[in-house]
Amino acid sequence: MSLANEEVDHGGDIANGSGYEPWLFQSMLDELSINELGIGFVYSVMETLAKRYSLRDVIVNLSHESFGEQMFRLGGQAVSAEMAANIGTSPGVYCDPDVVPPEELGAVRTACQLALSLHLARFSAAHDPLTNIANRRTFDSALEAAAARSARYGWAFTLLVIDLNGFKNINDTLGHAIGDDLLRQFGVAMRRSVRSGDVAARIGGDEFAVILSNADGFEATGFVDRLRCNLKAASELLEFSVGTSTSPRDSTDPTELFRVADARLYEKKGLTH
Amino acid sequence: MMSATDEDLELELRSLPGVLNVEIRHLENGEVDVVTLIVNGQDPSAIRVMAKQIVSLYSAEGSVVVEDATTAFRPRSAEAIRVNLASTSFDHETGQCEVELNFAGRIGVGHSASGKLIGGVEATLAALRDLTLNVPFYLISVVNVATPRGWPVVVTLRPFARDNDLLGIAQGDNDVTSSAMATLNALNRVLPISNAD
Repeated sequence: MSLANEEVDHGGDIANGSGYEPWLFQSMLDELSINELGIGFVYSVMETLAKRYSLRDVIVNLSHESFGEQMFRLGGQAVSAEMAANIGTSPGVYCDPDVVPPEELGAVRTACQLALSLHLARFSAAHDPLTNIANRRTFDSALEAAAARSARYGWAFTLLVIDLNGFKNINDTLGHAIGDDLLRQFGVAMRRSVRSGDVAARIGGDEFAVILSNADGFEATGFVDRLRCNLKAASELLEFSVGTSTSPRDSTDPTELFRVADARLYEKKGLTH
Repeated sequence: MMSATDEDLELELRSLPGVLNVEIRHLENGEVDVVTLIVNGQDPSAIRVMAKQIVSLYSAEGSVVVEDATTAFRPRSAEAIRVNLASTSFDHETGQCEVELNFAGRIGVGHSASGKLIGGVEATLAALRDLTLNVPFYLISVVNVATPRGWPVVVTLRPFARDNDLLGIAQGDNDVTSSAMATLNALNRVLPISNAD
């Protein structure tokens, strides 16, 4: 397998006579909305290329400003350490056999780079960067959608608003690096504790929220127990308080549901707004 | 097509420091079975702990294998396969440099008419390509510097894709030889082993 990078002069002798088709992947792109472009697309493009030229193997080596160097191999196979070292750090598309026109390799690489960037952009727009759980924007739209379904169909869901106790003291005494690490661990504990279909989010510095779908209030106890258990395994430094509200019982208005859960949280903490 | 969940799992794993490549193998029921990570320049055990945590968020059973590519990525020693300078010449009438290289029993020849210094580098790069080696670098500068022991030539090459320049320095019998030797001095450290095929 040799380097087939679009910046390298191949002297035009590796083209197999099939001709370069600038819109080779247009049909694939047409099938996907821009919001669906992701890592899966990278593998699809490689598969298409392999079928088209009867390739035994394809490796796409990308240099991404956020990820650094990234290698993708046909079929999602592992690139061995030796293979990775052989390929080196030059971004490019490596084909076995080396029969693909360089222009087409350039198009493949650009498409893969675009897909990776879009996937990261989509993930970053929806997730909190520290904890990798949903961010405030995602939470707000999930709450709105859940409330709308609840209002229309009467489907119940429970909202939990969670506040970490004394987190400011932890930051002040142990430092922000440890504070950040604890927040990360709390995020992991949250992800471990939710069921498929629930939404866990970080909505502020040390404030979190969970939407438990198809839950009329009792499920909240189970979630809180799981969270305490998962958190204990990760850190004993963190304690938290929870306020809940349930739709449609408390309200079907997202703002009101949040207000009720927040008020109950503060009530539990012995604080007032 | 991959599921959105697998895509996000792979994205999270690729976000870990030093992860170059990810393979996710599944059981027949679709659950994650084994995740293999290829890591460069990071402590594999630390990456394994982080990766294990991420995988556990997607699958209760998935195991994690981390393969360390750091050693493989280290620059090869002087004993490793390298390109050797066979001869250089400069035609004063035509201003043409010729560089002849020897690599794995093969001879490559390159020419350039860009003077002794630049021409020496260009002819060396042409000879490397004549040997069918991929050389994804271009010339940034070539200068000879005055030192108490002579006039060595310093060559700066830049990869097409990145800015980590390669520097080579060498002193031969003449400027063309110095340029060619300095170019090889820079490139022999990085020319991929795959070029040896």
